[in-house]
Amino acid sequence: MKEKNFHAIHITKDKCIGCVHCLGACPTKAIRVRDGKAQIIDELCIDCGECLRVCPYDAVHSHTTSFSALDHFEYKVAIPSTVLYGQFGAANLPTEILSALRRVGFNEVYDLSSICELNCAAVEEYLNEHPRPRPFITATCPVVVRLIQGRYPALCGQILPIEPPREIAAKILRTILPKALGIAPEKIGIIHITPCPAKMVSINSPATLNKSYLDGAISIRDIYPQILNALRKGQEDALMRHLFPETQFSGIGMGWSLSGGETRGLKNHRAVAVSGIQDTMRVLDQVEAGLLQDIDMLECTVCPDGCVGGPLEVENRFLAKSRILQLVAAAGERSVVDPKDVSRLYHKNFLSFDHPVSPIESRPLDHDPAKAIRKAKRREKIFADLPLKDCGVCGAPDCRTLADDVVRGLAHVDDCPFVKKEKR
Amino acid sequence: MAAEDVYRQEFPVKGGDFAKAGTVACRIKELLKDLGLDSKTVRRAAIAAYEAEMNVIMYAWQGRMDLAVSTQEVRITVDDQGPGIADIELAMTEGYSTATPEMRELGFGAGMGLPNIKRSSDVFHIDSHAGQGTRLEIIIRTNGHKP
Repeated sequence: MKEKNFHAIHITKDKCIGCVHCLGACPTKAIRVRDGKAQIIDELCIDCGECLRVCPYDAVHSHTTSFSALDHFEYKVAIPSTVLYGQFGAANLPTEILSALRRVGFNEVYDLSSICELNCAAVEEYLNEHPRPRPFITATCPVVVRLIQGRYPALCGQILPIEPPREIAAKILRTILPKALGIAPEKIGIIHITPCPAKMVSINSPATLNKSYLDGAISIRDIYPQILNALRKGQEDALMRHLFPETQFSGIGMGWSLSGGETRGLKNHRAVAVSGIQDTMRVLDQVEAGLLQDIDMLECTVCPDGCVGGPLEVENRFLAKSRILQLVAAAGERSVVDPKDVSRLYHKNFLSFDHPVSPIESRPLDHDPAKAIRKAKRREKIFADLPLKDCGVCGAPDCRTLADDVVRGLAHVDDCPFVKKEKR
Repeated sequence: MAAEDVYRQEFPVKGGDFAKAGTVACRIKELLKDLGLDSKTVRRAAIAAYEAEMNVIMYAWQGRMDLAVSTQEVRITVDDQGPGIADIELAMTEGYSTATPEMRELGFGAGMGLPNIKRSSDVFHIDSHAGQGTRLEIIIRTNGHKP
């Protein structure tokens, strides 16, 4: 299943009409329209899902795990993103949602808020032990990791090498469950329930692990109707869960899916949270220029407002955010993780990356420096003659990118409708 | 070196234009990546260019950054019309700054600008005339340049 350039975002050609919505939305300028259909340039795509948000024709498909693909597992475990708790309004408590997910067909379901708290404590310990470099950037958002690998390679060493909660949770379960249940490890499926397609990429081609501990990720959007159905049918169960709650949710971890959620639990460090792809890129540009060295930790999530703004969620993100804030307020500062456990796991390197993040090779104009210089000059000349309308009719997102494509041999100046007109 | 082997581009910088702070440095960084320079060289150039750009924005009325890239080196020349620097030696001292409280409020004026440029470059010249302006010459050798 592991591919070198695995992507979770694909264009469904039958549905694509070749309009320009996705062209302009793509932050890495990875999309071109060729022969009337959008195409994604493999090396440039970071799987952020911005195109998926703006496509009016539902032509951008995200490749996540389907529930039926789990049939071959004897024992199915779900570890949903805490975003899920914000999807069903105030009437449904997290404990009911987890219980509904069991009725959908998972043998067991585990809450991630405690592991978020664990991650936070481990990050704090790491920052204590490593005074340099600054700032460290957290690795929770797989798109940020990919963005840094490709666009900010000099910052790879500033990614804080503690695995995100979903992987830590899966690793713990994978270690414990086979023995506890007496079931062969390969027959236990551990599945994330995700608000974004990029988790599929981190599962299929992990940037920091030799192999992901997760077996797949089901999109919230895909499984939402089944959970809703189970919630509707489960009123007695709901009463049970209210009276005998079985999960202790962590107050520190509960708000993890909101921007600032990762930094909220840090006690002794100065942290900054950034969300949204454009702002993330702006701040990473500043870090690369040597700024923000007085900040200990930088939390970047490319979705607006954090994971709660993921492209695969159902509830509108403002309502979801409001609901999660309610849950955070209700849980208060409740801590459910024993610091001694964290310290033990941390010092065993159980929570660490398998290997550091390595840069993805950039895309110079030419591998021969002298030729690259010549091409850059030609690119400026071509660009100077373009109309600067950034209309997208040529198939490139803007005039600058068309000029770039031309010198790379991927397009022709005549693709520009305005240049043609003037020549005639 | 033949002229055709050097990539040149000039970027105007407007004094006081904090809203655009960093855009020239970013453009330079993208360009150097396109030219295939290794990430360490690109980062050194990005740091130097950013600090130089900020100096113009913070202190000068207007300025210009000239970029010249050959296969051996990245050269950034910054010319500004502004108040100039009265005591260059003092200005090169880490922590020395004439930034106003407003600039400090924005997170600038730590007194590390010029020292950072010097540290990031292989050759650094500064020339300033009080009441006229400042000229910086920054050279970063591209040793890491892949053949």
